[in-house]
Amino acid sequence: MASEHITKAYDEELRRLSNTVAEMGGLAESQLGSAIEAVATRDTEVAGRVIEGDANIDQAERDVDNLAIRLLALRQPVARDLREIFAALKIASDLERIGDYASNVAKRSIALSQTPPVRPVYALPRMAQFAQLQIKDVLDAYVQRDAEKAYSVWLRDAELDEMYSSLFRELLTYMMEDPRSIGSCTHLLFMAKNIERIGDHATNIAENLYYLVNGTPLEQVRPKGDVSSLEIVTPDGARS
Amino acid sequence: MSPATARQIMSPALSDSRDTRADPSLRQKVLIRQVDFFYGAFQALKNITMALHDKRVTAFIGPSGCGKSTLLRVLNRIYELYPGQRATGEVIVDGENILAPGLDLNLLRARIGMVFQKPTPFPMSIYDNVAFGIRLYERLPNHELDDRVESALRRAALWGEVRDKLRQSGLGLSGGQQQRLCIARAVAVQPEILLLDEPASALDPISTQRIEELIAELKEDYCIAIVTHNMQQAARSSDYTAFMYLGELIEFDETERIFTHPKQKHTEDYITGRFG
Repeated sequence: MASEHITKAYDEELRRLSNTVAEMGGLAESQLGSAIEAVATRDTEVAGRVIEGDANIDQAERDVDNLAIRLLALRQPVARDLREIFAALKIASDLERIGDYASNVAKRSIALSQTPPVRPVYALPRMAQFAQLQIKDVLDAYVQRDAEKAYSVWLRDAELDEMYSSLFRELLTYMMEDPRSIGSCTHLLFMAKNIERIGDHATNIAENLYYLVNGTPLEQVRPKGDVSSLEIVTPDGARS
Repeated sequence: MSPATARQIMSPALSDSRDTRADPSLRQKVLIRQVDFFYGAFQALKNITMALHDKRVTAFIGPSGCGKSTLLRVLNRIYELYPGQRATGEVIVDGENILAPGLDLNLLRARIGMVFQKPTPFPMSIYDNVAFGIRLYERLPNHELDDRVESALRRAALWGEVRDKLRQSGLGLSGGQQQRLCIARAVAVQPEILLLDEPASALDPISTQRIEELIAELKEDYCIAIVTHNMQQAARSSDYTAFMYLGELIEFDETERIFTHPKQKHTEDYITGRFG
């Protein structure tokens, strides 16, 4: 880890910024966990708490913004210090979106729990747990300032994309087989998309962390496993 | 390893920057090669090798005693006014080594002008301050001298403030104005290179910004080197930055690179305030 500033207060302020981001990340991770629980157990009270809890994440983002602006104005940061502040701002923004998506999943779980469960619902928690692990790993990478760890989170997103593509096909097939399930399946489709987007935001965080540590961007093109936007699923199950 | 990489490793300060590749007319005006400097037995500069680009500003930063002002003084040999001080190595300006013996030092100091930290107007009129140097080197008819003085004062962004009081003493000007007068004096003899040693350190923030704006204008016509202990000033005003420490050149690169992602940890520690 870098040595200390001559001005101790500067170090304290940077630490405070970093801790606020880490706490925000913990909140987002836990929100997603509770949202998954709400889906799996059809518990509307848990869902309700997730929806209310999103306000805490929004407040944390405002805290990060204020701390960052203050540091920029008063410290004229350069080099790594500047990248720390820049990364904190971007990561907080991604975490706020993750919080929103988790809250959306919780909202839809309430609607879902008012109709009988459909078979594809069991695939959703598995996908969501993968996304939760991505968030956990990228936050660990942030706390440790570990660019290698960030890079592996970045690569694993391809798996999440594949899960989404697979769930997309399954949901469409199910809807075509049983039109009564269209209501539930449409909610599930949106929820799956939200989780896929959570994964994308986790990779954004990984990219920003990589830049923070190395001073150069992660330039490679990320392998994208989500082909659903190019697919047509027909009733006989064939893909084109 | 590509030729470009090999060049970079062997002499990072002399290889082409992105800048040079983008603009082939950008050239290295001053080549500093393996310069050592001694105050008596004490070695103040150790094997300095780097280049100053024409029509660009190069800033020298580093803690007190790092040798940045010493290096500036080598470039126009002003150290030779003092016994016991000597430089070895080469400083090549337009193909000519200016450290070679037998060079006309007065002519050299007209080509390479210097402005110091404390404004040093001569105890004479504003007009005579600027005309002094011109009169040393050239014999001009009055109207031509008037034109040259006006032109220099305009270049130094001072003409508007002094045009109606050219016969008044230079000592009656404010600190910021005196410094601009010294800049006018330096540019009056039509130098190619300007050396500025902490030009704004003694000035208030508004005057400092005026000087920085002036430097931005002047660099269109001159090769400029500036020594500053104010890192934000180096970041704002320069195209290239050289970080020095205890007589050595630690890192030299485009200013943007130095302040966003320096190569040396030592440089990063200094610019982020991790050591004095």
